[in-house]
Amino acid sequence: MNEELILQHGLTLDEFQVIRKYLNRDLSIEELGIFSAMWNEHCCYKTSKKWLKKLPTDNEIVIQGPGENAGVIDLQDNDGIAFKIESHNHPSYIEPFNGSATGVGGILRDIFTMGARPIATLDSIRFGLIETEKTKYLLNGVVHGIGHYGNCIGIPNIGGECEFESTYDFNNLVNAMAVGHVQKDKIFYSKPKSIGGLIVYIGSKTGKDGIHGASMASDVFSEEDEDEKRPSVQVGDPFMEKLLMEGCLELMSSGLIESMQDMGAAGITSSSVEMASKGNVGVYINLDKVPLRQPLSAYEILLSESQERMLAVIDKKNNHKVREILQKWQIDYEVIGEITDTKRVVFESNNKKVVDLPVEIIVDDAPEYDREFYIPRKRKNKDFDFSKIKLEDMIINLLTNLNYLDKSWVFDQYDSTVMGDTIREPGQSSGIVKIHGTQKVIGASTDCNPLYIRINPYEGMKYTVAESYRNLIACNINPLAITNNLNFASPLDPNIMGELVLSIHGLKTAAVKFNTPIVSGNVSLYNQTNEIPIKPTPVIGMVGSNMDLNKINTNKFCEIGNKILILGKQLTKNCSPYLLQDQKIAFNICEFNDLEVLDLDFEKKIANCVLELSDLKCIMSCNDISRGGIFSALLKMQYKDMGFRVKVPDPIDLFCEYSAGYVIEIRSKDFEEVTSFLTKKGAEYLDIGEIIKEGIEINSKKFDYFDIMNKYLNDFEKIIS
Amino acid sequence: MSFKSAVITFPGSNCDRDALCYLKDLTKGEVHNIWHEETSLPKVDLVILPGGFSFGDYLRSGAMASKSKIIDEVVKHANDNRYLLGICNGFQILTEIGLLEGALIRNKKLKFLGKNCFIKKKFKNNFNLSIKDNQILQIPVAHNEGNFYCDTETLNLLKNNEQIAFEYCKGEFSNTEENINGSIEAIAGITNKKKNVLGMMPHPERAYSDFHQSQDGRFIIESLIS
Repeated sequence: MNEELILQHGLTLDEFQVIRKYLNRDLSIEELGIFSAMWNEHCCYKTSKKWLKKLPTDNEIVIQGPGENAGVIDLQDNDGIAFKIESHNHPSYIEPFNGSATGVGGILRDIFTMGARPIATLDSIRFGLIETEKTKYLLNGVVHGIGHYGNCIGIPNIGGECEFESTYDFNNLVNAMAVGHVQKDKIFYSKPKSIGGLIVYIGSKTGKDGIHGASMASDVFSEEDEDEKRPSVQVGDPFMEKLLMEGCLELMSSGLIESMQDMGAAGITSSSVEMASKGNVGVYINLDKVPLRQPLSAYEILLSESQERMLAVIDKKNNHKVREILQKWQIDYEVIGEITDTKRVVFESNNKKVVDLPVEIIVDDAPEYDREFYIPRKRKNKDFDFSKIKLEDMIINLLTNLNYLDKSWVFDQYDSTVMGDTIREPGQSSGIVKIHGTQKVIGASTDCNPLYIRINPYEGMKYTVAESYRNLIACNINPLAITNNLNFASPLDPNIMGELVLSIHGLKTAAVKFNTPIVSGNVSLYNQTNEIPIKPTPVIGMVGSNMDLNKINTNKFCEIGNKILILGKQLTKNCSPYLLQDQKIAFNICEFNDLEVLDLDFEKKIANCVLELSDLKCIMSCNDISRGGIFSALLKMQYKDMGFRVKVPDPIDLFCEYSAGYVIEIRSKDFEEVTSFLTKKGAEYLDIGEIIKEGIEINSKKFDYFDIMNKYLNDFEKIIS
Repeated sequence: MSFKSAVITFPGSNCDRDALCYLKDLTKGEVHNIWHEETSLPKVDLVILPGGFSFGDYLRSGAMASKSKIIDEVVKHANDNRYLLGICNGFQILTEIGLLEGALIRNKKLKFLGKNCFIKKKFKNNFNLSIKDNQILQIPVAHNEGNFYCDTETLNLLKNNEQIAFEYCKGEFSNTEENINGSIEAIAGITNKKKNVLGMMPHPERAYSDFHQSQDGRFIIESLIS
């Protein structure tokens, strides 16, 4: 086999030699295609595996950890929650609408493959600076794509984040998360149960779209590639996915299916190989039986990433009943093979075996690298000059920065109330939905602090996990578990590899402390274009619950005259990275001071105070303090023309970041009870002011409420169009 | 006599379950779910055509669903002077069938709109009896094609016959819009001439339970039952 062909398939020559030696024969082109798909970063985690193994993945509520289509946690009674986050970064840069739409489609299939009905989606999207036309095009396309797919299939989008920063100029990030509800005794796994079971193909016909998508996702980009790679972006059809979802859920609840696997990255290859590997069995598939949209070669069928397709194993006796149900939903269905005892993956086409490989070499012998990494040097401490900073300018700086403005323009393009169970919509600290037919609610939040993580990957990652944690706590949601999406640049650079290793370590530390295991996840590497690496962006999706929907907090002001208290510990202004960056005091990453060490025990202590006060019904509204400090938190809490009057020692304090930071609104009559509770718990608080009508007042200085609100609520749309 | 109702499900309907819950919780009566390929409808007081993307909105929103097998029965039900309510995609289907006038075209900003909106009653009918004049209701919308359009002649007919049931309006606080999607005369819902068929873009079935942000969607079912 010639070297060029091997390299084109994304394998190194060393990797190829391993395969060649094992098989002791030449490979068919189809077999080379299979290794190309299965041995790339996206499918086998060859760079990250060594480090991911260190993460906590289990505790008393974990039903299924990483390794299946989605993780599942226990929510008491017979209720389980399946959830996962996944990236579609590269496809969304090449073709934003279809790239992001199929990202949503893929993650939803991961959820209903487990037998769970999806009940919510979230996302985390990052773009370059809005000044370029390209960013506007990408933002429009991505938001349209996410909305189109989720709206049509009818799953509410309940939250997420949307940020702009220059390192994403040529490499935007699109991470989509889905949450589903499953009955614990009806969870489906990809492991087949019996030898001789029929392998059936369910869903859309196979076409040429997405061939080599997974290996594309593991590649560094150059700008010229963009047009050339567009044909390998999949095209989504949410209507088909809706039918597929209803059809599959009906098959599962009727007990007609043994196991299921969705055809996602690397299509039929990946799903059948994983089936064989999980069950420690073999698979035989006749590619001539695969429903096709157009004539395709065996090679193309194996690698197609056409959307809305599933592979299932059924008992022979159920063939007829399965066909009947799927006919009702007008879904293609074909028996294409069977489970064998050979522990080999065999694909046949035109009466010829085009692939005949032991499962072991594809899965167990997949490469695993221990790449070189550097630990960042210690930073010198320095004092920044704040003497020229004026309060008015600080407010203007926030109100002209997209990252601080209300993002209704984004969220309004998503249906967030379909299914009728939505309690908190996007734009609040966490999205919340009710488990249908119960009093239980699920809250979820997606977060990342790339600037913190670039400054100090280990501490920065702790802050990221803590931010998700606070988002849930602020709503009186008890944090339970995590899914992660590790977006990094090329791990071949030891500095980047260092960010990956250390942030995983930080994730581990925080997850252990909060008892929130990582139950599913995704890794997206090589996020760099024209040699500009993205900031490290390991996104956290945290899920939590409250068993009583009447106990959750709102993030919006409730009543004029109520008092505003601050909990937590302010980071000094010299160590508040976003303050320094967004107030234009520090520009270059090397200028920043190191992060203050985040005390996770303190985070827990304050969180418990918020939870207890919430249960006592003493908290009227609550928001966490993150980027933009208290000021930004207060802006987000405005509602029905209510504003705030506050007094602080130094106005700059209002813009500093926090550890364990929360703004809480309490009634004056509860002031004694709340403050003595906090004192008893040893939790310091700051009484900074009260809620007023149509006004914003800081240290007796009055600001034009409607002018600020108009900018905050409406300028996002003006800036991006 | 208890109130009986039914919800039709088309492939791609995604608010059928919500509509079923809405009816079950508020009418306390019998509620049927009918698949679009059925050829008979039980005798009920109210039929809902739910929201969603029937047949993927391919061709035109509501166009394919208007040719489904069950539609003959739905038309008979309406001709029998019984209540028929189309919500969102259901409204689009009703205009495609021809039971309601006008058409729903793309929102003025050419973007999907999923948010709370405010509406008030325009002319009185059996669907809005228990709503006071000038009472502002908060109900979510979620649509891409909700911009109601008709020619002047039709608009005059709708007015003269008092067929406009709801119109969009500003909320009680600043930063709310008068007419969120550009509908002609801010029309949010219309009835047929006999006023037993209502089509509306806002989703009352997402605003009735205690945990919803608003409970104003209750008024429609309460009006019909009273």
